[in-house]
Amino acid sequence: MLKNDLILRNPLRLMGHENEAIVPQGGFGAVLARAGVGKTALIVQVALNTMLQQKNVLHVSLDDPVDKVNLWYQEVLNSLASQYHVRQIKELWESIQMHRFIMTFKVEGFSVPKLEERVKDLTEQQIFNPHMVIIDGLPFDESLRSPLEGLKTFSVNHRLHLWFTVTTHRHQTPGADGLPVQLSAVGDLFDAAIELQPEGKKIHIRCLKGGPEDSEACDQLLDPSTMLVQEP
Amino acid sequence: MATRIEKIRNIGISAHIDSGKTTLTERILFYTKRIHAIHDVKGKDGVGATMDSMELEKERGITIASAATYCEWNNHEINIIDTPGHVDFTIEVERSLRVLDGAILVLCSVGGVQSQSITVDQQMKRYKVPCIAFINKCDRSGANPFRVVAQLKDKLGHNAVAMQIPVGLEADHEGVVDLVTMKAIYFDGDNGETIREEEIPESLMDLAMEKREVLIDAATLFSDELTEAVLEETPIPAEMLIDAMRKGTLERKITPVFMGSAYKNKAVQPLLDAVTQLLPCPADVSNQALDLDQDEAQVTLTSDDTKPTVALAFKLEDGQYGQLTYIRVYQGKLAKGDTVVNVRTGRKIKIGRLARMHANQMEDIVGISAGYIGALFGVDCASGDTFTDRSVNLTMTSMYVPEPVISLAIVPKDNKAEINMSKALNRFSKEDPTFRTYVSEETGDTIISGMGELHLEVYIERMRREYNAEVTSGAPRVAYRETITRRSEFNYTHKKQTGGSGQYGRVAGYMEPVDGEEFTFVNEVTGGSIPTQFISACEKGFRNCLPKGPKMEFPVTGVKVVIDDGASHSVDSSEMAFQAAARGAFLEGYMKAAPVIHEPIMKVAVETPTEFQGGVMGSLNQRRGMIIGSQDEGPMCVIESQVPLAEMFGYSTVLRSLTQGKAQFTMEFATYRQVPQSISEEIAKKHQEEKKNVA
Repeated sequence: MLKNDLILRNPLRLMGHENEAIVPQGGFGAVLARAGVGKTALIVQVALNTMLQQKNVLHVSLDDPVDKVNLWYQEVLNSLASQYHVRQIKELWESIQMHRFIMTFKVEGFSVPKLEERVKDLTEQQIFNPHMVIIDGLPFDESLRSPLEGLKTFSVNHRLHLWFTVTTHRHQTPGADGLPVQLSAVGDLFDAAIELQPEGKKIHIRCLKGGPEDSEACDQLLDPSTMLVQEP
Repeated sequence: MATRIEKIRNIGISAHIDSGKTTLTERILFYTKRIHAIHDVKGKDGVGATMDSMELEKERGITIASAATYCEWNNHEINIIDTPGHVDFTIEVERSLRVLDGAILVLCSVGGVQSQSITVDQQMKRYKVPCIAFINKCDRSGANPFRVVAQLKDKLGHNAVAMQIPVGLEADHEGVVDLVTMKAIYFDGDNGETIREEEIPESLMDLAMEKREVLIDAATLFSDELTEAVLEETPIPAEMLIDAMRKGTLERKITPVFMGSAYKNKAVQPLLDAVTQLLPCPADVSNQALDLDQDEAQVTLTSDDTKPTVALAFKLEDGQYGQLTYIRVYQGKLAKGDTVVNVRTGRKIKIGRLARMHANQMEDIVGISAGYIGALFGVDCASGDTFTDRSVNLTMTSMYVPEPVISLAIVPKDNKAEINMSKALNRFSKEDPTFRTYVSEETGDTIISGMGELHLEVYIERMRREYNAEVTSGAPRVAYRETITRRSEFNYTHKKQTGGSGQYGRVAGYMEPVDGEEFTFVNEVTGGSIPTQFISACEKGFRNCLPKGPKMEFPVTGVKVVIDDGASHSVDSSEMAFQAAARGAFLEGYMKAAPVIHEPIMKVAVETPTEFQGGVMGSLNQRRGMIIGSQDEGPMCVIESQVPLAEMFGYSTVLRSLTQGKAQFTMEFATYRQVPQSISEEIAKKHQEEKKNVA
């Protein structure tokens, strides 16, 4: 199997989306789930697909060290490769690795101006120009509106596609718009929201916002053993 | 050695170069009556400080080898390891920290937290060594100890709390105010040996009250009793406050800060009090060993003389009486006449002579108890070896040894130098695990490798001074390799008829790239087209081609050779003929298999204050580096990258100037990767030139 075939297995495409078009330039997407269900695994699949298309992904992780984030990519790529019988995984990885940059912060040390400054360091020296930015581990609480607005401006200015992972909690009931409470105050900023819901031994992937009209197309399953999207 | 374990302190003095730690050690030895006169580091009297035992150190005013020494204070026995301050000698610092229970972090009240303080601090963190800080040189112009306390908090993330405030600064520095007893302490006499306690001067009272508040506030976190006393506003006894501070210090949650001027003999004695009051005794620290009989399961050692002996050799020195081995006993005891086993080699050793070291003087002793540091004589071992009595098979957790980052070729000037050089190299590589030496198979040169340019320079200089070995050093080299990128077939006939018996052999098959292996040979010949007795000759022929690749004479790796056909002649075929045929076949196949040059890629992690992050990333990028990511850790950040080794020479100098010396980097081998075309051409050109020069 070739790189292009892998691109066709994009988790978003499997869910009926034309690639990352689900989130427009300057837009926000969110992957929501309870802790440990597979948010990072799914977002890393989205990132790997962007990298396979030779587009740059900036992965911002709060609290996890660079090595751990890197390990996620290796693991997901290895699983993808074995699921789709890709040989020469080392070459494939070497050819896409330069399309990813990991930036990690301590939660308390993260701020939008700091991120902007760091990205400026990278772009001005032509070290790395991100196309997609993933922010993994940002706590979604009441005080988040203003930083998110800052990120929105940043995203629009740099024409980025921004994805967030959002941790939800079992005991919380969704808001009136059907979105988890974490997004209720900031839902308007998001173009897409995908939720992972474990039911028994299955993990459903559901589009809460920005999905295709056909809700069936959106309801996919995540294989709990590999954390990959199961093929229909 | 009848002292109770609670009365023992094994401490290190770690700091930036030139922050005055050797002077401080010297004063400590003076006040504890181990020496009877004080000498300066760069001594005008030609004696030099007692701890700097090597001539070179005396000359440069720096401490290279960690001489261990012991002294007594307030009925406590203190073993001190004087650690080197320069970044290029970090293994010495790391080794010291491994055997220490606590440390004094010495900082300069003018220079404050400098890059080496950051390195040393990280090492202390790695080994979880509790520490107290001493802000030295309060007599210097520009001294500002409170700025240094703030830096300890901001730059190193310590919960630093002042235990004292200075009485006067710069030229007016007279003494300190002890915030625990609320007394002003002055140091009289020619050498500050007479302590005079007085009331706090009026002008300092407010500041003292304010700082005491801060101290008590910080200490309450570690003592409910103290919190109660504060809430009930009852007087706080000094012991209660010290107990709370000790608890916080042992947990590394608080760093008590002391201040003074070692050079001017101010406030060294209160620091010694603090060592006995706040730093841990060996029993407070948990030490682990690995049980080799239980698949390296972790075993906790206890400082108990009656248990089986486990001791670690942490430092070797070549003295006038042979090898001197510094040793720490973690469990059990060592006594004269005992027989112990070196766990690494399995060799039995009878302990002949034990000593307690005081820099380069010594005192004979009869035994070393658990928790103690001492020295053995005439024991052949390497640094890091574990000794046990024969009842257990434990090894101390292997010390973290960084991989050498730089190597260069050295050539002795003459025959005598060559003999001496080999003696010196043998000694240095035993003493210092980060210093390695080998003879390059490719060039035949003796290569030395170590932690930095200065590290190697010092060893070259030591070779000259201590061993009278004059050597010249070459430029550092990179080990390139060759490999193939696609499958190709070969079919080669070696035929020679030059009178006498001829040579005949045909070898056919294919070669292809193989991951993770140097060379694989597969014989798929059927029907005896190559007689069985010549197959090994074929393999040998192929293998002989590997050390010098046909493309650029670099070693060949990652090649799988399969032979599946061939031909022989009943008279003219021989082992030699098939070896030659295999060589020809290799050359034929190799050039068709798109050979490329691979270069070593290093994993480089740069730790830098965040303000230099952009510049550091730029510098790595310029070196063909691929930056994997950046990790923000408060005031510092770590940039992880993969950079070709060939681009890393001289990087330490570049990094230093780029970051005002505040960044440091570690480098270890990651993988081999194909050299880009343009670079490959450059290497080829260079290679051609070298060849011409040799010719």
